[in-house]
Amino acid sequence: MVSDSVPISRSEARAIRKSVLGPAWWATSQIVLLVWTVLVAVPIVWTFLASIKTEVELDDAWSLPAVPRFDNYARAWEQAHIGQYMLNSILVVAFGVAGTMLLGSMAAYVLSRYRFRGSRLLYLLFVSGLAFPVYLALTPLFFVVQNMGTVPVIGQFIGLNSHGGLVLVYIAYSLPFTVFFLAAFFRTLPTAVAEAALVDGASHTRVFFQIMLPMAKPGIVSITIFNILGQWNQYQIPLVLLAGAKEKWVLTQGIADISTAAGYDADWAALFAALSMAILPMLIVYTIFQRQIQAGLTAGALK
Amino acid sequence: MAHTPLTRRELLRSAALAGILLPAAGALSACATPAGNTGAPTAPTAGAKSATNPLGIADDKPFEVVIFDGGLGDAYFTDIHQPLFKTKYPKIEIKHSATKEVAKTLQPRLAGGTPPEVIHNQGANAMDTGALVQDGQLFDLTTLLEAPSWDDPNVKVRDTILPSAIELGTYDGKYSVLTYTSGVWGIWYSKKQFDENGWQASPKTWDEFLALLETIKKSGKCAPFTYAGKHPFYVYETILTLAAKIGGIDVLKRIDNLEDGAWKAEPVKQAATAFAEIGAKYLMPGTAGLDHVQTQTAQNKGKVALLPCGVWLENEQKDSTPEGFDYAVFPLPDFSASDAMPYGTVHARPGEDFFVAAKSANPLAGVEFMRGMLSKEAAGKYVELVSTPSVVKGAAEGLQLKPGLTSANAMLSAAGDNTTYFRFRQWYLPMHDEVAAATGQLMNGRLTVEKWIERIEKKAADIKADSSVKKFTRT
Amino acid sequence: MRYGSSRFIIGFLAAPVLIYAIYVIAPYAQAFYIALTNWRGVNATPEFIGLENFRRLFGDGIFWKAVGHNALLLVLLPVLTLGIALFFAFLLNVGGKSGVSGIWGSKIYRVVFFFPQVLAIAIVAALFQQVFRPDSGGMINSVLPEPVGFLSDPDIALWSILGVLVWQAVGFYVVLFSAGMASIPKDLFEAAAIDGASRVSLFFRVTLPLLWDTIQVGWVYLGIAALDVFAIVWVMTAEHGGPDSSTTVMAAEIYRNAFHYFQFGYASAMGVVLFFFTVGFAALALRLSRRERVEF
Repeated sequence: MVSDSVPISRSEARAIRKSVLGPAWWATSQIVLLVWTVLVAVPIVWTFLASIKTEVELDDAWSLPAVPRFDNYARAWEQAHIGQYMLNSILVVAFGVAGTMLLGSMAAYVLSRYRFRGSRLLYLLFVSGLAFPVYLALTPLFFVVQNMGTVPVIGQFIGLNSHGGLVLVYIAYSLPFTVFFLAAFFRTLPTAVAEAALVDGASHTRVFFQIMLPMAKPGIVSITIFNILGQWNQYQIPLVLLAGAKEKWVLTQGIADISTAAGYDADWAALFAALSMAILPMLIVYTIFQRQIQAGLTAGALK
Repeated sequence: MAHTPLTRRELLRSAALAGILLPAAGALSACATPAGNTGAPTAPTAGAKSATNPLGIADDKPFEVVIFDGGLGDAYFTDIHQPLFKTKYPKIEIKHSATKEVAKTLQPRLAGGTPPEVIHNQGANAMDTGALVQDGQLFDLTTLLEAPSWDDPNVKVRDTILPSAIELGTYDGKYSVLTYTSGVWGIWYSKKQFDENGWQASPKTWDEFLALLETIKKSGKCAPFTYAGKHPFYVYETILTLAAKIGGIDVLKRIDNLEDGAWKAEPVKQAATAFAEIGAKYLMPGTAGLDHVQTQTAQNKGKVALLPCGVWLENEQKDSTPEGFDYAVFPLPDFSASDAMPYGTVHARPGEDFFVAAKSANPLAGVEFMRGMLSKEAAGKYVELVSTPSVVKGAAEGLQLKPGLTSANAMLSAAGDNTTYFRFRQWYLPMHDEVAAATGQLMNGRLTVEKWIERIEKKAADIKADSSVKKFTRT
Repeated sequence: MRYGSSRFIIGFLAAPVLIYAIYVIAPYAQAFYIALTNWRGVNATPEFIGLENFRRLFGDGIFWKAVGHNALLLVLLPVLTLGIALFFAFLLNVGGKSGVSGIWGSKIYRVVFFFPQVLAIAIVAALFQQVFRPDSGGMINSVLPEPVGFLSDPDIALWSILGVLVWQAVGFYVVLFSAGMASIPKDLFEAAAIDGASRVSLFFRVTLPLLWDTIQVGWVYLGIAALDVFAIVWVMTAEHGGPDSSTTVMAAEIYRNAFHYFQFGYASAMGVVLFFFTVGFAALALRLSRRERVEF
């Protein structure tokens, strides 16, 4: 794609702005964009505000709290175990995404660059997973994980109510999209370097890890972000697989739990505090890495 | 984006292929089947029967209890039932957990043959009792009824609890669900608010009731009436109770038995019409979008005067009820002079379902645990804790009760034998959902009474025709 | 690349294929079989009933209502999301003061617009339940003279759901399209602008054609998302898809029939139908786009 732009002088630029993109246009744009910013930010800011109000003050949606009530946070921390669940989420997602990327890129690479009997079939089998609604598999999946728990020695780490089991399930369910995406990506990479390395006697494994993987970095980054978001948001699967061990729950379960609990205890302030505690770290992490995240997403998707 | 056409085509092809491949992969599915086919009831646990251990349970074999966490957590288990049980069997370990997602947590375990012994099957996400009965998942609790009571070896458990509890816990001729509380429904108000405004509670006739609603509306102080809009069960419960009062208990029996035209009966129509009118004229704005706690809290805040609810209301609202609110309850008024049932008739129905899983490892220990639950001590402490009447006779004797519970007890004893209930909610969950959805629309004026009847009749007919659903009957 | 590579191929594929077969293929194969039984979920031996569940599905009004809602979302979610996102991306990229570069504040806008994307669906659902509350505690209704039943009026509820879905999705596509536009050579805009092209024609003549591939990908993603809608509906609405089934979707019906009614056989049959709908949609998307390129 040709991307060199012809340099234009300041006066030319000014002329264009005046003729086409005048001040009225600029102002309208700003207003439209500001409106959406408000639409996006206000519910979030409002949640923070609501999280420091009392039950009575919550009655009026837009009132300010007389005194900020941080005890809501104490209750939410206590009830929703936000800290513990966030740690669990981080742990599970870290291992889940790492495993997904390792196994996914390996499978995608082999399936996209090597022709062998059944390669097509395997690839299609992976990709067809994209069309399965996960609710359909929940109950059979439960039995699979339960049965894995009876495997000698390692069973206890991958059975029900174990983070290991959840990680393996996350990996399996992230593979379709990862393979689908990365296989396409690997196909677009030039083959010359890899061929040369193979001729020079490098092993296939080495070629993959030292040449192809670094070349595929934009795609890897992009799909990693997708997988982090996807696994972080998972709710149904941990609900079924971790049901019996409350201390192992992940964050989404904690939020859903306190959201239901608010229906019994009428403790809405604690719900807002829990929501705030779940939202804030995500926004901070995102804001810090937003440049990389945006670049990564688009590099992969626009290749 | 050069790869997208390729990948889209692949996606399509792969999907088509998956259809062919999946059966082939069936071999694999062997590992996706329940592991617990072997989970048949284990042989009766060893242990000598004795006066103190009438069921003869092993005194060192552990068991598990799963409790529905309806805002109370597992407090009553850890504070009441477990300590009591432990005094008798110090060596038996009881594993326990509390969940709000009863079905999702336990359904796979039941299917897999590794269920916990005692299950508190309650809440919005409870399991369909009909399905459980159909699959023989419920342990026959006749053993429990015939066992001597915890407090007095000369009295059987059967004689210490309300007969209605036994009746409602009986499925297919077998007593298999322990209903632990004695629920009673009515229309709730704040005695304080009514006294302050000079409003007259407990209207005797429908006209008096409408006049009361009108007075409240005119006063401009608050809305007259509301119900848990997101859960229209709360109002269809009231409509059906009124229908039974007008036409007698048979009205509800015919409904439960899925008889053709049961919903077309005149009493049902009259009751529905009456409440549709309340919906049109006296409902608190926004009711349809609020849930039970939100409407109940609105009442605590003085925004609405009346709401229909069960006796657990006072306990559920204990944190948001202002000082001196003074909960009180009254029964439905007479609809006309020719009502089949007298003034004071109430919907009373034992609730809070507990059962012992038939395929659990140590079911008799679960039964023994229930025997402990039905002791006077445990039942009395439970009444105090959750402020709900017990199915255990005399459990509340000598206890200091809150005003709402006192009022409900008075209403219940005034009703005497004039109580009604319906069972289709437990028998046919899809039926309950349809009645709830249609009633919500009836109250909003989006459905006429005729259409309401038509829809529910159709659902009843569908369920009747569905051979995969087990049918129950009551007489 | 076939220099004695079979050991390498097996080595690389063994782990992913094994995990995938155990955790994905096996449960789904089982689910397809369950669709042919009357399994109620709690007994270990389902009874085979052939296609009976599918026959029953034809007469299930609520299921078809759910299909209708999915179809509506399938059309409107991509149209609205992509439309809004394209418009914003255009404003952000060519609305700037210095000729045709980014508008003032475009970096901040892009960051903020993306916020909803990083929130878990469970959180978004819990959040908007409060936003839409029909009493004075609701963010919107507290400032309206008459309460609007955003989630309780059957004529409005589905639109509220659509609004939340769009709210969450737009940011991602703004970022995607922005990057796409940034790679469009500036001189194309300038040439068109100097030719006196209006902003509207600038958009339709330059931006849209050059982003067409990206838009198509977005359409497919959003279409699949529309067929998969679940948590938002399940958590936010009364009666889980109500009131009176006015917001229900296929996934919610699957879930309800499985985990509420314990009709796992019937629910699995619905899942199979949903599977074929998804496949059908992919086929349609492929057919309509018809801008095939050479495979490589």
